[in-house]
Amino acid sequence: MKNNIIKYATIAALATVSFTACKKDEVATPTPVEQELITTVKLVVTDGAGFNKTFVYKVENGFGSTSQGTITKDSVLLTPNKTYNVEVQLLNEKTSPATDETVEVKNENTEHLFVYQSSPASGAGSVAFSDGSKDDKGAAFNQAGKLKTDAAGNGTLTITLKHQPTNKAATTPDAAGGETDVEAIFNVKLQ
Amino acid sequence: MNRVLIAMILWLMVLVQHVYAQDTCNINIKCRVLETHSGQSLFPVSVYIDEMKREFEADEDGRFEIENACPGVYHIHFHAAGYEHLVKELKISANASLKFSLSHIDKELADVVVSDDRVKTIIQSKGNINRLDIVSNSGKTLGDMLQSVNGVSVLSNGATIAKPVIHGLHSNRIIILNNGIRQEDQQWGGEHAPNIDPFLANNITVLKGAAGVRYGTDAIGGVVLVEPSPVRTMKGWDGEVNLAGFSNTRMGVASATVQHGFKYIKGLGIRLQGTLKQGGNYSIPGYWVANTGTEEQNYSATIAYKKAHFGVEAFYSHFNTKLGIYRGSHTGNQVDLMAAINSDTPLVNAGFSYKIDRPMQHVVHDLAKLKVNADTRAGAISLVYAYQHNYRQEYDIIRGTSDKAQLNLTLNTQTLNLNLEHKPIAGISGQVGIDGVYQENYMQDGDRVFIPNYSSPGLAAYIIERYRLNKLTLEVGARYDYRHYEVFNPEGNNQTIVRYLFDYSNASGTIGLRYKPKPNWEWNATLANAWRAPQASELFSSGLHHGAARIELGDKNLQPEKAYSLNIETAYNVPDKLHAELSLYTQYINDFIYLKPDADILTIRGYFKSFRYTQTNAWLNGADASVKYSVAKPLEAHLKASFLFARDVQQKDWLMLMPADRISGGFKYTFSLGKTFKEVFLGVDVRYVFRQWRIPANFDQIDYPRPPADYFVLDAEAGVTIMRSGHPIYLSITVINALNQQYRDYLDAFRYFINQPGTNVVLRLRVPFNFYGLISKN
Repeated sequence: MKNNIIKYATIAALATVSFTACKKDEVATPTPVEQELITTVKLVVTDGAGFNKTFVYKVENGFGSTSQGTITKDSVLLTPNKTYNVEVQLLNEKTSPATDETVEVKNENTEHLFVYQSSPASGAGSVAFSDGSKDDKGAAFNQAGKLKTDAAGNGTLTITLKHQPTNKAATTPDAAGGETDVEAIFNVKLQ
Repeated sequence: MNRVLIAMILWLMVLVQHVYAQDTCNINIKCRVLETHSGQSLFPVSVYIDEMKREFEADEDGRFEIENACPGVYHIHFHAAGYEHLVKELKISANASLKFSLSHIDKELADVVVSDDRVKTIIQSKGNINRLDIVSNSGKTLGDMLQSVNGVSVLSNGATIAKPVIHGLHSNRIIILNNGIRQEDQQWGGEHAPNIDPFLANNITVLKGAAGVRYGTDAIGGVVLVEPSPVRTMKGWDGEVNLAGFSNTRMGVASATVQHGFKYIKGLGIRLQGTLKQGGNYSIPGYWVANTGTEEQNYSATIAYKKAHFGVEAFYSHFNTKLGIYRGSHTGNQVDLMAAINSDTPLVNAGFSYKIDRPMQHVVHDLAKLKVNADTRAGAISLVYAYQHNYRQEYDIIRGTSDKAQLNLTLNTQTLNLNLEHKPIAGISGQVGIDGVYQENYMQDGDRVFIPNYSSPGLAAYIIERYRLNKLTLEVGARYDYRHYEVFNPEGNNQTIVRYLFDYSNASGTIGLRYKPKPNWEWNATLANAWRAPQASELFSSGLHHGAARIELGDKNLQPEKAYSLNIETAYNVPDKLHAELSLYTQYINDFIYLKPDADILTIRGYFKSFRYTQTNAWLNGADASVKYSVAKPLEAHLKASFLFARDVQQKDWLMLMPADRISGGFKYTFSLGKTFKEVFLGVDVRYVFRQWRIPANFDQIDYPRPPADYFVLDAEAGVTIMRSGHPIYLSITVINALNQQYRDYLDAFRYFINQPGTNVVLRLRVPFNFYGLISKN
């Protein structure tokens, strides 16, 4: 009786070991996907009179990776004291072909808000955003609008995309609440 | 077979010391277990009383005491390695001293006797929560419950996720044994609470300090043993229904257990148990906390067959939980985090709701276990195989409207243990055994980056021996572990899979000394070590920590952590008057793995602070003290204190995120109101937690804000046992944070955002039932 128990125990132990020892291939990691990844912010600027330029801010690996990859940061070169039309486009260039993430954000425009912050806030080198596009409920969405440049000088323009903001009338990311999906900092040169 | 029966004829000696009539439940029975032939005291012996559902353990003198017993008839089981399994019927009517004796398994004996003892007898600093404590805290998570053990604190994410911290160490530095099986549920994560239903447990023991020899790798800080009672195999039915309602979360908890011992198949028993729990958003003083509902559905089944010859037990448990995570703790980047921290009020407003939205966790944990055990002439042999399946889904906040989880992580673990608790050889008793483990971790296609897939086999062998010389007991143990990892890590811009192989092995040892100068006074000293291999998360993690808005980076070159601990403990006990314990500990951890601030990383969401896993040498020193004192007969006072000094030896600085010093105390007044309302009690408890001022000099670079202020919380409780035609019904009301204090705790991840929960009134009802069949099966 006792010997039997030991025998069965040994068989069970061996069976366990051998049945678990040969499943190597199954555990190979599938390629992880950072869902809803955005890598690129494009600022499309037009003046309705032939001026049409796209400025790119791109972090190659976007988010969720140990290495950021190549960073592209165009300087926004514009004429002082002029009003332009602007539109923001979001892309995921990790996919091939690149995915236009703007579509999804537009579809959920009530849950999103673009915020434009200029540094300096006013005076030479600053830009001012106005006439922002509205969401389906008539609140601010700001994916497109007008950008008025001030006197010649240098500054920065930070474009922030907020998800589920608590205050859609906000003009700063802090006041908007919610969480940041994108934060792109362009250098601005008005000359 | 006749010989077996003859050998089973055992004698019982009753020495009635003092007899006075009683009908209340305050009878004390002093027991002693002896060896039949030599008359020497027997040790270790585990004792179980069916009707009380209580386990006892005889000390080195073979003594144990049944306290506060009600008059009645009880069935008492004795188990000792190499000895007969004895079941006795016991009529309790008055205080008494009893002697029981167990016989060796006879040489000619063809068959063996079941033993269901669990080895808790190793010399180690211990804390305990019994069935009564468990049911009187029903509805709380395991982590919260363990807080009542001195030296244990809690690492939490608000009110719903709680993990035990033993002497400052937690997660993958402690082990939780669920029904004898090492729980494998991605326990490395700070927001991964143990997936265990506390209603399963009859007894929870916390071993403090390194316990690597018996429990293997990772037992650096200690071990939590969650143990169900043995299944009823005696003919008849019994069970229990527990109900609890919580005002703060409007949470309802219902749990039931039914046990049946079969009439026609002697020794066959079954137990079914299930728990349902649903709670909504919790509230902090002045606010509701958005999206913090909980849901839990758990069940378990045990079937046991105990023959005189051997025993088989099959156990299956299923744990299923859905946990909402406070919406405001999920921030996009560092700027968002700062805005949330600096706001005086919760940034996300909410009312009450049971609905659980993103972000949330859904975790399913299944455990299947098969145990075979037998008593032979050599001792008690047990073979345990277990399979665990842990499936963790994390639902992030997303732009789309998908129902999909962003993380679907599977962890499958198989374990095998063969243990022999041998019969004493020349006065030396002990156990030897081998442990095997095979583990696989994998994610699903399309998941976000988290931890890589890996597979890992491991093997270990151990021996623990004990020798007793008069008042002194010496215990020595050794173990050798080997663990192999094959990891498939996605790397680089294109996330190409790179395969890594790791091999870790190490020896562990333990020396324990127990000295009992008097029967009511004992000293314990344990010198032990333990180690752990770096976890996949520490080696390869490369992602955002949502709650803290920071990027954590692994290091593939991390070495195993090795810990050496010395605990010295003394306990003094005057029955019904005083119980005092003092425990001092020191622990040195070589290559202690921690997160060190690293360069900022630019992402499309802006800059993030990054932290890299690094190693240092840590030195933890501390003390736990507790006193329980009976002021006047019905009034009892208790006081507990716990201190910890955790140093980074290399940096000559304090370590991050260590529990602050704390003191707690209270009174309990117990009285009886006639025959129907018995055991009425009123109690009050206060807990004072100091501000953690032992923080690194560069704290402000690592974390913000500084650790929260000291706080004090008051809980009050009242309860009664209502006797209805001989059956008790237990009713109690507890008020947690009775003064609705606003406070934050340093070990709560939500300390950045919100206060701890406000007042919570808990109503609990417990109804046990019991239908006996005939007397004992013997």
